[in-house]
Amino acid sequence: METTMNTATDPATIRRHYFKVLLAIAIGMSLALGIVRFFTYVNNASADTFLGRVLESRDALPRIIEQPEDLVLFYGSSMVQAGFSPRQFDAAMAERGAQTKSFNFGFGGLNPLFQEIYARRIREAFEDNDRRLKLALIEFNPFQTTKTRRNRARSAEDSFTAILASPGELMQAVIDDPERGLRMLNIRYLRDGVSAEMITSFFGEPFQARRLRSELPRDEEADARAQELGEELGKRFEAEYPDYQGENWRWQWQGGGTIPEERPADTLALFEEYYEVTVTDYSQDNDRLSRIHTADIINLDFDPELVEAFIGIVENFKAISDNVEVVLLPKNTDWIQNPPEALDRMYAVMERIEQETGVRVRDFQEIEPVKNSYFSDTTHLNRYQGAVAFTQFLVDQYAGLID
Amino acid sequence: MLFNTPLFFVFFVVFLLFYGFIFLRRKPRVYFILVSSLVFYGAWNYAFIPLLVGSAVADYFLAQAIAGAPTKSGKKFWVTLSIAMNLGILAIFKYADFVLQSVADLLLVFGYSPSIPTLAFVLPVGISFYTFQSMSYTIDVYRGDMEPRKGLVEFTAALSFFPQLVAGPILRARQILPQFHKIPLPTWVNAKHGFLLITVGLMKKTVADLLAAPAATAFDATGPVSTLETWTGVLAFAGQIYGDFSGYSDMAIGLALLLGFQIPLNFRLPYFASSPVDFWRRWHISLSTWLRDYLYISLGGNRGGHRTRNVLITMLLGGLWHGAAWTFVAWGAFHGALITLTHWLGRLTPFRPWSESKSLGVRVIKWAFTFYLMLLGWVLFRANSLDSAWDIVVNMHTFSDVAVGQVGAKAILALTMAAVVLMHLLDLFVLTKADKLENKPWLFWLLLVIAQGLCLMVGEPSTEFIYFQF
Repeated sequence: METTMNTATDPATIRRHYFKVLLAIAIGMSLALGIVRFFTYVNNASADTFLGRVLESRDALPRIIEQPEDLVLFYGSSMVQAGFSPRQFDAAMAERGAQTKSFNFGFGGLNPLFQEIYARRIREAFEDNDRRLKLALIEFNPFQTTKTRRNRARSAEDSFTAILASPGELMQAVIDDPERGLRMLNIRYLRDGVSAEMITSFFGEPFQARRLRSELPRDEEADARAQELGEELGKRFEAEYPDYQGENWRWQWQGGGTIPEERPADTLALFEEYYEVTVTDYSQDNDRLSRIHTADIINLDFDPELVEAFIGIVENFKAISDNVEVVLLPKNTDWIQNPPEALDRMYAVMERIEQETGVRVRDFQEIEPVKNSYFSDTTHLNRYQGAVAFTQFLVDQYAGLID
Repeated sequence: MLFNTPLFFVFFVVFLLFYGFIFLRRKPRVYFILVSSLVFYGAWNYAFIPLLVGSAVADYFLAQAIAGAPTKSGKKFWVTLSIAMNLGILAIFKYADFVLQSVADLLLVFGYSPSIPTLAFVLPVGISFYTFQSMSYTIDVYRGDMEPRKGLVEFTAALSFFPQLVAGPILRARQILPQFHKIPLPTWVNAKHGFLLITVGLMKKTVADLLAAPAATAFDATGPVSTLETWTGVLAFAGQIYGDFSGYSDMAIGLALLLGFQIPLNFRLPYFASSPVDFWRRWHISLSTWLRDYLYISLGGNRGGHRTRNVLITMLLGGLWHGAAWTFVAWGAFHGALITLTHWLGRLTPFRPWSESKSLGVRVIKWAFTFYLMLLGWVLFRANSLDSAWDIVVNMHTFSDVAVGQVGAKAILALTMAAVVLMHLLDLFVLTKADKLENKPWLFWLLLVIAQGLCLMVGEPSTEFIYFQF
């Protein structure tokens, strides 16, 4: 294409030309961003879908702070989400004469890097209102802190960081590193939390190395029964909780789940059967292989930055809590057995956390009240056996601290 | 500040607001371009701004001295000083550690293990581009090809002109300085072409970034890599470096066009080349012509029966220009040998009909063989060491199905091939059909918006341009 020169120097002509150029840029980029937003919308990808539970809990912070009782907050991964029942905890505490209001701040899919950023938001909310927690329980989850786990989440790092950062932190990022800072602002405010890397990673998923699948035989009868029971339990849930609006973090449940006291006996009986048919050797073995692939759950090769971030979480809670405890949640030892060298690495990290924070790290991985049959898979406790037993265990452990 | 980042977008919009609405007269515009270019450069490392400005100021005055010197020897002295200064800057910042390390390695071979310190200087981004550009000015003045320019600010602004500052194309002073003397206003036709080039460049850069992963599978593997994965990796790198660099050049040319400046084409469908000589007429044209005009011809060119020697020296140094490592030297030597061989074969009577044949079959064979040779060259260019390059070349030519665990290897190969072809089709389209598309405004803008949307949707925006490190 032959380009031609124009040597016009009339200011009006120059301005008119550059007005057109800027208009083309503005309209073009707006429409191009519109295409991105449309794509993410039709694929149901947004800050809310990635971090809905976190964002809902963040919205609840002002209300949490207003509660008159002693506040207890259990912060951690999806294992906390499944394994801690705040309402049961408060009821048991009340029986012992302590008025607590506890909250489940367990979130799936957040490694300590992201948890640390959110811990800053919690700290800010408490400090701004001059409010303190009576007890902060922080889960140290070994397999959330591995290099494998970190690598799996790399494509989400900028996105999650941008969503969880405060406006002040984003502005500071712009000052410290304008290129990255503006990228974050773009992700947060123009792309609804969805970075280009996340979309690329989504498309690249079919080319990622596949994990091993269990070679144990499937119990097809059990699978069919599990399907039936799942559907039935779904219907019962809708009937028994008509006001449930699909919240990820539900205020009425204090961020936890349902409790056995509010479920009819026949529903609980169905749940018992459901646990039996869903937890098969095949499903457990498959889940174990998945955890090995995504989180290095057996060998536990720790990522130093994630460990550092975890220490940051503890420091944030220390600033707003009368008591802080770091705990390791129960482990399904039928399926997860770590070799001695992995355990050594884990103990070394636990020791480092204790030394650097001055906070006690308590290992509840193998506790008597929680049996291996109380797990819904290789890592998560089931609701009406596991969460109940573990919550009661926590009450026994920490009632003294709160009294 | 990468062209494909929000930071550059903000920078450019702010630049346009001032450039198009406030600074409307020539002189303020030149000053504003200079300041903006220094801000653009300083975004990487402001500590090197004095080096850039100092180099420009020195060459500006050296050119005056060359023109003002009454004798040939006086002119020669000043131009030698300019060349020594520019090459000295390159030597210190780019090659010093390489030389020191090579000396240490050599001494080790003879049983000495001296402790030679390294300088560990940070490489100023774009140094190879702007020093060559600056040198071309003093050499042109020395040769009498152009008069020295009046106006230090104008010269410095031209040298540091941000669209082409950090990764070329390498402009000749005679191409860019006259444009700064009479800053043009682009026509809307030019602006539209600029938008098209920016979009095509962005698409190529996006594709190039996506090819980085399969390339790394072959080049950075720590375990065994299958033959298929190796070929995919090498092909992916061929696509990556082409998309990355030509994409940058396209964006640079497009941005300059939006401002009214014209920068010549830097790539012309290089993988369609039918011989290694042809490849260098199509690949990084501004560098290959620079090397031809200022190095090869200075060495004597084709005269005196020294063509082979001069080609080899030129290509060896051309390889070294790309980076301070033996892999780049080997890459340059490889291309020097290929060009020499092509010349030699072209002179042999049995090969003459072959080299002059226009038949499709012969052209396809020549193209395929040239592309194969270029792939071998990219192995040297990308490999982490000469040993690693040799392993990859062996891996390409001996069958192994022991893979590193990549899923869908055949699909990745197909996608990689499609990506390389797509980038060339985009270029072919720009070269031959751009006018027609630009005359259909609705279709033109619709395609541009869709393409921009796709580029914003996927990609790895934090990936640097490969040629920045040169």
